[in-house]
Amino acid sequence: MTMMPLLQMTNLSIGYDKTLVSNVNLEVGRGEVIAVLGPSGLGKTTLLRTIAGLVTPLEGEVILNVNRRGGLGYIPQRLGLVRHTSVWTNVGLGAMVSGLNRLQREEIIAESIIKMGLEDKIKEPVRRLSGGQQRRVATARTLAQSPPLILADEFLGELDDDNVELVMASVLELVKKGSTLIMVEHHEERAIEFADRIWRIVDGKLVEE
Amino acid sequence: MKKRVFTISLSLILLAVFILNNFMGQRITIAGSWNNLVIFTFDSLLPPDWSVAQSEECGFFCSDAWLGMWETLKIAFVATVFGFIFAILISVFAASNLSPLWVSLIARAVLAAMRTIPSIIWATIFLVAIGLGPVAGIMAMTFYTIGYLGKLQYEAIEGMETAPLEAAKAMGMRRHEAAIFVAVPEVANNLLSQLIFMFEYNVRHGTVLGLVGAGGIGLTISNSLNSLQYDRVTALLIVIFVVVLIIEGISMVARSFVTEEGDVKRPSWFTIFHSPNQAVRIHHFDDESE
Ligand SMILES: Nc1ncnc2c1ncn2[C@@H]1O[C@H](COP(=O)(O)OP(=O)(O)OP(=O)(O)O)[C@@H](O)[C@H]1O
Ligand SMILES: [Mg+2]
Repeated sequence: MTMMPLLQMTNLSIGYDKTLVSNVNLEVGRGEVIAVLGPSGLGKTTLLRTIAGLVTPLEGEVILNVNRRGGLGYIPQRLGLVRHTSVWTNVGLGAMVSGLNRLQREEIIAESIIKMGLEDKIKEPVRRLSGGQQRRVATARTLAQSPPLILADEFLGELDDDNVELVMASVLELVKKGSTLIMVEHHEERAIEFADRIWRIVDGKLVEE
Repeated sequence: MKKRVFTISLSLILLAVFILNNFMGQRITIAGSWNNLVIFTFDSLLPPDWSVAQSEECGFFCSDAWLGMWETLKIAFVATVFGFIFAILISVFAASNLSPLWVSLIARAVLAAMRTIPSIIWATIFLVAIGLGPVAGIMAMTFYTIGYLGKLQYEAIEGMETAPLEAAKAMGMRRHEAAIFVAVPEVANNLLSQLIFMFEYNVRHGTVLGLVGAGGIGLTISNSLNSLQYDRVTALLIVIFVVVLIIEGISMVARSFVTEEGDVKRPSWFTIFHSPNQAVRIHHFDDESE
């Protein structure tokens, strides 16, 4: 039996009314870290959203080999947290789709919150957290989900070096267990530091370096 | 850009004046009606007959006015609570960012239909179906509450940020999960202030429903109108006005708890009379001293 790739993009063109990136042919396996680079407004977010099934491809197709429920974790550029509910409830959304039972869910929610150093904010509504703390909540949500494929849109954002360390250590732990991370990053050095593969958007093409 | 806004505004005003002018042309029998109005006001409406607000047994609280008002408050409360529950269920289907297009079109049509039928007609329908009294009023009020509140709610949901719903969808959350755990909590502040507004509205509107026999103080008014005791009507209207003012005050306080940031704690009575800017400064000052 041949191993099916985790993610396969064939003849993929993405965009909205205009094509942003065309003719993408790439495969992704398990346990990889991929960084997507490129100047602002060229379609990095659009690529992630297309992979996540939120935007229909203009041409070609995306084949995902993960469960429809819980198989894919997505940290949007704007994080997508529920601002008026607590840290615990937000992280709980990740556990909700993980297929674990109640006890296991509570365990992994607590564990993820502690890993992100947010244990004293558990009951706090997310809107009262700082930008960096909110980023860690979004990461904890994905940790609690532990999906085979993680799409992260500039999720390191304005984190300082210590927090980048903290967040990446936990995410790379998941990678070690076989998850794949595709991260959009605008810090070239960070991309090179963490990623095995680098994709760059150049002249409407996605180029692997 | 500014010029276009000006042109559009001016055309709308001119159109309104033109239409009004057409109506006026139809009957110019205003002459003499001023006198009638003066006579009606001073002979029939004034002074208010306060006997409606008094009783032998226990004063104001056993009077026709208060018993009617109290019933109106109860009708409005029950109808607002049930209306809210059904409205939120329907509005989740009506919101185009939660439901497929065809589902949302059907849900919107249902809500629009409930709004299209005026509450008086709803009341008449239920009076025919279940007879005179407050239950018919509750049913009628519940129905148009669903229509109104549902529309406000789905518009609030559609106005929310897209990222939380996108994350939920990508993660594979089911539609009802996304609705319950993402969309509704995200717009909870809006829902709460809409709810308070609707209760206020229903209390005021309860008088209209009462006129057709659906219970409450409107029924008391209707009885006085039928027996041409207009001075009693004046007294009843004043009672309603005072109660509406009280509710207005309560809802102002309640709504100051649910600002968009939701962080203004324990507003003091007087801050509700300040502009938002002033209120914010006052609360920040409080925070620092904590
Ligand atoms: N929903 C949308 N409908 C139409 N066009 C869009 C939509 N979202 C983004 N675009 C356009 O698509 C282009 C690419 O947007 P995208 O968000 O993918 O860029 P990006 O590479 O992620 O940029 P950044 O680094 O600034 O986040 C932009 O020109 C943007 O205006
Ligand atoms: Mg982007």
